[in-house]
Amino acid sequence: MSLGASSSAGGLAADFSSRIARLMAYIVLCMVLMTLDYRGFWVERIRTGATFLVEPIWLAVEAPAAATRSIAQRWQNRSELLTERDLLALELNQSQAQLLVLDELARENHRLRALLGATETIDRNFQAVELRDLDLNPYSHRLLINRGASDGLQVGQVVMDASGLVGQVDSVLVHTASVILLSDPDHALPVEIERSRLRTIAYGSGRNDEIRLNDLPMNADIQVGDVLLSSGLGGRFQPGLPVADVVEVERVPGQAFASARAELRARMQGARHLLVVTDPSPPAVASDANQRVDDGDSDVVSDAAPDVVQDADAR
Amino acid sequence: MSARPTGTGLVVLCLIAACALTIMPLPGSIEPFRPYWVALLVLYWNLETGRFRHLGHGFLLGLLLDIMTGTLLGQHALGLVILIFLLERFRSRIRFFPPWQQAGAVFALLLNDRVIHLWIIALQGNQWPSWQWWLAPAVAVLLWPWLFLLLDYLRRQARVQSQ
Repeated sequence: MSLGASSSAGGLAADFSSRIARLMAYIVLCMVLMTLDYRGFWVERIRTGATFLVEPIWLAVEAPAAATRSIAQRWQNRSELLTERDLLALELNQSQAQLLVLDELARENHRLRALLGATETIDRNFQAVELRDLDLNPYSHRLLINRGASDGLQVGQVVMDASGLVGQVDSVLVHTASVILLSDPDHALPVEIERSRLRTIAYGSGRNDEIRLNDLPMNADIQVGDVLLSSGLGGRFQPGLPVADVVEVERVPGQAFASARAELRARMQGARHLLVVTDPSPPAVASDANQRVDDGDSDVVSDAAPDVVQDADAR
Repeated sequence: MSARPTGTGLVVLCLIAACALTIMPLPGSIEPFRPYWVALLVLYWNLETGRFRHLGHGFLLGLLLDIMTGTLLGQHALGLVILIFLLERFRSRIRFFPPWQQAGAVFALLLNDRVIHLWIIALQGNQWPSWQWWLAPAVAVLLWPWLFLLLDYLRRQARVQSQ
């Protein structure tokens, strides 16, 4: 240790001041790195490369948990499995009956669209993905899933679960991808109120299960219990997917806009399986989907996800 | 001096274990109590064998942690650099503290580290962490004596000399 040698040989005060200088240098270096990372300049690329190196560590750490799970599954009780199978069969029957009705509706819709000369809706494919066990950072609303570029995932694909929208794919590695959640403060989603067809933008609130509508007109037709659907504006999210239920509407006299809180439909607690919506043919992504939210104080939108935030002006 | 085993292999092994413990999945309810394993290791190896005395070591380790845990690049690095600086400042005193006082010093250093992290989290405009977040240093201090004994034992097995 060169330092140990110098501290025993050289003067203590001189050594100390040089240490202070080095401390300052490192602190400044850290600050610069953090700022660059936060603003999302070239550090993002270095980071992606480095994450590549770290991926095997993640896989290795996750292996014991995966092994325990598979052993637990192997030893699951036979009778338990039988009851579960019966339950699932019942559910499948019901779902299939509903699907028959939906099929009929889809055909009807198809005919009507043909009559109107309207464009066909795009078919959607789903890819089932599993959550990785690792929750990287409790302060960023991101998830890791166990599929990546090798499975055909792309940045910007929509992620949902059985009950509603979850978010969109934010970055893709070989066997892993990270998903930015709707609740992320940097995320904005064009939504539509099911009852009144009012279109607006829903912003992430930073709380796990909540999004906010911040720029509603004072006389907007919105009330507690309204259902928010994705409006499809901006071209990123398919229209008509359930997103959230409005739980509180605030109209403060003297404010320019009314605001509302909505609880997300997707249940992230305890969920293991998610669906990634993949399109059979990649549609031309509107260039405006890459613009960022630019409202007042949120001009510090993290560039960790530059093309994630939808265009707020899509209205 | 050069003939003696330096224990680099042991240090690397311990570090890998600490990294694994850092990103190991835990149930959500006990997640905030996860001790700062890497810092504990750095503290031990610094106090007992005089490793990790360069600020650069802390910086590189911190960057590795940042990439692994998905925090802002430089957040853990800043914490560890300051930790090593403070440790070096008071090293000669802490080394000869009685064990309980040493644990107190470890607690103070880890708490200071949490304050630094809190500062960065707040600067990012994130939500204030829950109160359990502050319990992690306490958990770490409770683990400190056992970790100390374990590492002492490992070190004796590997016959690593202190410097």
